[in-house]
Amino acid sequence: MRKCLLQLALLAYAATAGADNEAIAQPEARESNWRLGAALGYGLRSNPLVQSDDIPIIVDLDIAWFGDRFFFDNGDIGLTFVSNDYVTASLVGRFNSDRVFFGKTETRFVNIDLAGAPLSENAEFKVPDRDYAIELGVELLSDGDWGHLQMSAFSDVSDTHNGYEIYINYGYGWRDQRWYIEPSFGLSYKSADLNNYYWGVRDAEAGLVSPSYTAEDGINSHARLMFSYQINKNWNLSLVAEFEILNDEAAASPLVEDENLLGFFAGFGFRFR
Amino acid sequence: MKRLLSLLVLMLPAVAVAEAGVDPDMRLSVKPVLCITDAKTPACDIAFLVAWESDLLGYYCLFNDLAESPLRCWNEERSGRLSDERTVTDSFRYWMTSDDFEHKLALVAVEVLRMDTDDRRRKRRTRHVWDIN
Repeated sequence: MRKCLLQLALLAYAATAGADNEAIAQPEARESNWRLGAALGYGLRSNPLVQSDDIPIIVDLDIAWFGDRFFFDNGDIGLTFVSNDYVTASLVGRFNSDRVFFGKTETRFVNIDLAGAPLSENAEFKVPDRDYAIELGVELLSDGDWGHLQMSAFSDVSDTHNGYEIYINYGYGWRDQRWYIEPSFGLSYKSADLNNYYWGVRDAEAGLVSPSYTAEDGINSHARLMFSYQINKNWNLSLVAEFEILNDEAAASPLVEDENLLGFFAGFGFRFR
Repeated sequence: MKRLLSLLVLMLPAVAVAEAGVDPDMRLSVKPVLCITDAKTPACDIAFLVAWESDLLGYYCLFNDLAESPLRCWNEERSGRLSDERTVTDSFRYWMTSDDFEHKLALVAVEVLRMDTDDRRRKRRTRHVWDIN
């Protein structure tokens, strides 16, 4: 980890120092296909699952490549089939994001069940495992003086949850030279199959500690606020806070301890330009 | 970990001043050295405050990339200031020379950073846990 951070720092320094005396007065070059950056700081994303740890964020990598049609954006792969003054539409493949919470769970011996009732004997309990799903969908992006809008519909193509998700997010940014602030908010509809796969408890998984549970469809809501201060061409200071409320069906799951998800990050970001 | 963070923080001012100084006797400063444009503000309309100081009395001239002739020259001076009002869309440099006009004694770059993009996909939000930047 330390070696990685040191390399990142040296790389950033070399890239910045080398750019000082050359090509500064050249006309603005065509935007690079690559977008490479990293942020170093401290952040956390809370985990709504019982017997789980929050997800720390120390290094936030940004690796993306955008071609005329194809793009790769931090794990998402896309094919853009419409791009005009009003909208950009792409076919996108991705991994489902709900799975990340299930990677930070623990096995414990407990003497009460998940509803708080005492057990007759200590029992071993672990949050059941869930798989990543590969999802395919259509994403629409639009922007203007009114802000920017992102809408998408994704369906499972990996025979994992066999459900779908519809997502909408709106944001508006204000800039005053180095300062930038952007609030955004949105909704995410999760189908019953998707919701139940991640947040339900199968009969085979139910036991002394947790009853079986079937989740129906529901809507998550989220809001985000980002502050940024551009220190120089490559470096910025970012503060981000994000709040998400799980849908009622997921929140009622015996696996869920907290329906509110909080994420934040504060740190220095470096972007290659 | 603390040492690395300290290193990163220390690097920030080092990067900012790395552009100055070809001749150690001449010091040139420009404020501001960074201007940010976007779709709503496509150009920087700024009065750049240029100040220089030398250990030696002499004939010195201030140039920039936007004009072939010097912006101003000073005769038998150790220091000088100039407010240079400009509307710029691209990065450029200010530099000081002596009377030969060729040898740059000190140089400062003004960065014009475009923060907007014509490609909407670059502004899309991914929903992965690490997408917080």
